[in-house]
Amino acid sequence: MRLPPFLYLAPRTKKEAVEMLSRHRGTVGIVAGGTDMVNRLRQRLVSPAYVMSLKGVEGFRGIEEQRGRLVIAAGTTLREIGESQAISASFFALVEAAGLVAAPSIRSMATIGGNLLQNTRCLFYNQSELVRSAAPTCLKDGGQACSAIKGARRCSSVYQGDMAPVLIAFDAEAVLRKAGGTRRVPVAALFSGDGTHPLTIEEDELLTEIRLPFPRGAFASSYRKLRMRSGLDYPLASSACFLSLSKKGVIDRARLVIGAAGPAPLAVEGGAALLTGVRPEEADPHAAADRAFREAGAIDNLLLPGAYRKKMVKVVARRAVEAALAGLRGA
Amino acid sequence: MEKKTISLSVNGQVFSVSTYVHKTLLEVLREDLGLTGAKESCGEGACGSCTVLLDGLPVRSCLLLAVEAEGRAILTIEGLASGPRLHPIQEAFVEHHAIQCGFCTPGMILTAKALLDDTPHPTEKEIRRALSGNICRCTGYTKIVEAIKAASRGEP
Repeated sequence: MRLPPFLYLAPRTKKEAVEMLSRHRGTVGIVAGGTDMVNRLRQRLVSPAYVMSLKGVEGFRGIEEQRGRLVIAAGTTLREIGESQAISASFFALVEAAGLVAAPSIRSMATIGGNLLQNTRCLFYNQSELVRSAAPTCLKDGGQACSAIKGARRCSSVYQGDMAPVLIAFDAEAVLRKAGGTRRVPVAALFSGDGTHPLTIEEDELLTEIRLPFPRGAFASSYRKLRMRSGLDYPLASSACFLSLSKKGVIDRARLVIGAAGPAPLAVEGGAALLTGVRPEEADPHAAADRAFREAGAIDNLLLPGAYRKKMVKVVARRAVEAALAGLRGA
Repeated sequence: MEKKTISLSVNGQVFSVSTYVHKTLLEVLREDLGLTGAKESCGEGACGSCTVLLDGLPVRSCLLLAVEAEGRAILTIEGLASGPRLHPIQEAFVEHHAIQCGFCTPGMILTAKALLDDTPHPTEKEIRRALSGNICRCTGYTKIVEAIKAASRGEP
């Protein structure tokens, strides 16, 4: 299938890029790695007048340490993240997650920024124009209907990004730049929870960096992903876990985040609370995972039924917690 | 519709191509340069039959805009053989019956080349992981993996 025609923008600096986003506000589709946007163009899910490629933007790739934080430029590829010693040492689950995305040749092109800012997905929405024309226009596509839940008035399309749950577990921040200035938000705040407009980034904003505070002391992290095949597929349920130990050997910080169970990653505060304040040997992964199960929603809008995916949230959450606990023993 | 004239370096040769900016690298390789080794199959970057090497790394040419490939070194399957002499990986695929319909083959061979250039003696696990983005409907992958193992041992 051919791509629809568009006008091409190729900024060389971040300043140029945000000026273009401002000048052409609302009519620009951004291509970083191209692994998400090019497909959406091909399917006519979006038809922007302009397509802006970030591939030539100076300083848009790279990983560096800056005063207690690891700073990852938004254009850094998933392959580079997977191979980074610096990330592996302090943010191991990020390496795990990056290595589980899609396939090797996609990871060579895809960027962390693009993976983070991917749109939500649904079996009925992510189809070509021709296939979508066979059903009434759905809520996410600008219509009134829903092919997943008849009569639904809210869109339950699923956020299937692999990097977001892990970044949230590490309390990462996103730096958003526009022509007027810059703002920083916790990665968790990038998600609205609304399947129709799932991201809170503005049309004239560019994600430039992700900043992760270095964990201190003894800590461990993990990411577990359920998919049909052992490669290529988006997650059907996923979980990130971060645990750190106080000097007395008690878990003092716990994060449990679920992915692919709704329009936004889900931070399971109750599950994390159960893991906090106890020694690793006393921690109960099953109880924490059960909290995740209770809070997660999943409907029949992906390849596997919602009821099954909800049950699997408990399994991946338990596995992620167990892996993090095992990591603490080795830390 | 916007057109641009770009300079593409393909298999060691530089081509000046006038193309619409909304054409993918796959379309330009096949339609403007006549290099039909890279294939369109899934149309969404999931199958790997469009694989080419970009500065030595396997990429999905169906997800790259042609204009974005300017200034990079592109290697297609046509660039592997030296005249009538096949590349050792191609020889191994022939010897080990790793080709049935042949549609996935250019993508498989280029992915294998990138792997062996980076890891000359990969384990079976590493081979399968490297190929995890290339789908084959005919062979069941066994002979493909065998062929790559043989090529890594310098065997035909």
